[in-house]
Amino acid sequence: MKLWWKDVMAMEFRKIFAYRSDFWITFLGQIFIQLLVTVSLWQAIYQGNEVKTMQGYGLEQMALYYLVANIGMRILWGENIGFISREIYEGTFTRYLLYPISFFQYKTISSLSYSLFYSTQLLIFYFLYHLFFIEAGISYGDLSHLFSGVFLFLLSAMLFLQLAFMIELLALWVDNVWTLMIMVRFFITFFGGGFIPLKFLPNWAQDLLQWTPFPYLIDLPVRTILGLSTQNEMREGFFLILFWMVLLSSFVKIIWSKGQKQYTGVGI
Amino acid sequence: MRRYFRLYLHFLQFSFSKAMEFRLDFFFKIFMDIAYYSVNILFFKVIFLHTPLLGGWSQEQMMIFVSTYILIDAICMTVFSTNMWWLPYHINRGDLDYHLIRPISPLFFLSLKEFSANSFVNLLMALAIFTYTISNYPYSYEAFDLILLAGLILNGALLYYCCQMLMILPVFWTQSARGFMDLFYSIGIAMERPDKIFTGWRRFIFTFIVPFSLIASFPAKLFIEKFNWPTFLHVIGVSGLFWMIMLSIWKKGLKTYSSASS
Repeated sequence: MKLWWKDVMAMEFRKIFAYRSDFWITFLGQIFIQLLVTVSLWQAIYQGNEVKTMQGYGLEQMALYYLVANIGMRILWGENIGFISREIYEGTFTRYLLYPISFFQYKTISSLSYSLFYSTQLLIFYFLYHLFFIEAGISYGDLSHLFSGVFLFLLSAMLFLQLAFMIELLALWVDNVWTLMIMVRFFITFFGGGFIPLKFLPNWAQDLLQWTPFPYLIDLPVRTILGLSTQNEMREGFFLILFWMVLLSSFVKIIWSKGQKQYTGVGI
Repeated sequence: MRRYFRLYLHFLQFSFSKAMEFRLDFFFKIFMDIAYYSVNILFFKVIFLHTPLLGGWSQEQMMIFVSTYILIDAICMTVFSTNMWWLPYHINRGDLDYHLIRPISPLFFLSLKEFSANSFVNLLMALAIFTYTISNYPYSYEAFDLILLAGLILNGALLYYCCQMLMILPVFWTQSARGFMDLFYSIGIAMERPDKIFTGWRRFIFTFIVPFSLIASFPAKLFIEKFNWPTFLHVIGVSGLFWMIMLSIWKKGLKTYSSASS
């Protein structure tokens, strides 16, 4: 019973590998093409302005920023959209109420499996990038930044999971929460630094964002991996992620306590 | 032809009444597309805080391109997207049987049956953004340029549909189109970037192999940099070629299709 989480993780890994062609197309195609397009864009900007760095990023760093951000967002999103709502609509949600373990623990482990899996992808791509594009190779400092950044990403994934719980559980009241999740992802991608490093936003916008959890979800972990964040920023980020996690999880509890009474168990 | 047109009107009527059944979802979807438009416009606004030109275009010229791809995306979301979403499931579950026996082109039926009513509201919004951008465009243009752009926007929507179909159709052989569809949405980012940023082999890929630059960037280029035959013929030629390839693979796929649970 104590090792139930291992079984859940093993089951989730089996699911990820179930469609191998899908997996490889996604793994190589998506990341390669997105990187190709993004690097082309920034190359044009750097060349057009005849500069070697912008807002502290050289072209090489910018490429690595997007590579890490793209895979990092997968770590953040964890399981696919609908990981709770679909089961509520289909009525299969009932099984979690019967399991001898907490529903939230189960879903946290299941989502963490995906995040851990994508973290491995990130490590592989990071090493490949250094092997082919960075002449100096990887230093001990780089490794320490890398593992600190991956740790921050995993922590951010747990914060995002609280947000996902809140929205997915709304399925107990409304007919479709898929669009809400997509909207939240759009905003996190933009205001979190997935589309563009936050340093490029106007100063007033950066100051404003500091009051939200967005910068700690993507921008901070990516900058940490690139070695561009200070110890202070990392420490502050760590505590702020925890703060937002506690705050959002209290909302989740309220939604869950009210939502349970709505669930009919027959699906919609 | 008239029969198909009448049928399409029925599709529209049915889709609107279905959309109004789930009103909250209807509005959520509208907000989702507004978020998509805002994020895309903001992205280029932020870029132009740091550069006066991108790929040789000023901010006003870039906004023509942005509003063009937003409009094309809105057309595709309204007309094709729901159908494209369900097509792999129809093929996998054997539902295609019901469409093959109907006295109508199954491609027409499966591609156009579901009209996305909520996206239609967004299409109007995208049209408003496009009209606003054109009316605030500080450079000179003629009526011909505008008509040409309108025509090429429709061509861009068709080319987008062809590319999407080409990513879905392997489902006839692979059983799952998820990987290809994810790949399609990833390549989709190339449509949202001006073609001039691509040089060398990257340019060849995005203008011939997976011609996403032809969907919105070339039409915008013909408007911004004035008409020229080579660019125009490139767009039309590649679009025609992709249409033919898509039709041929569709026919091959139908021959492979082995009915329920295939």
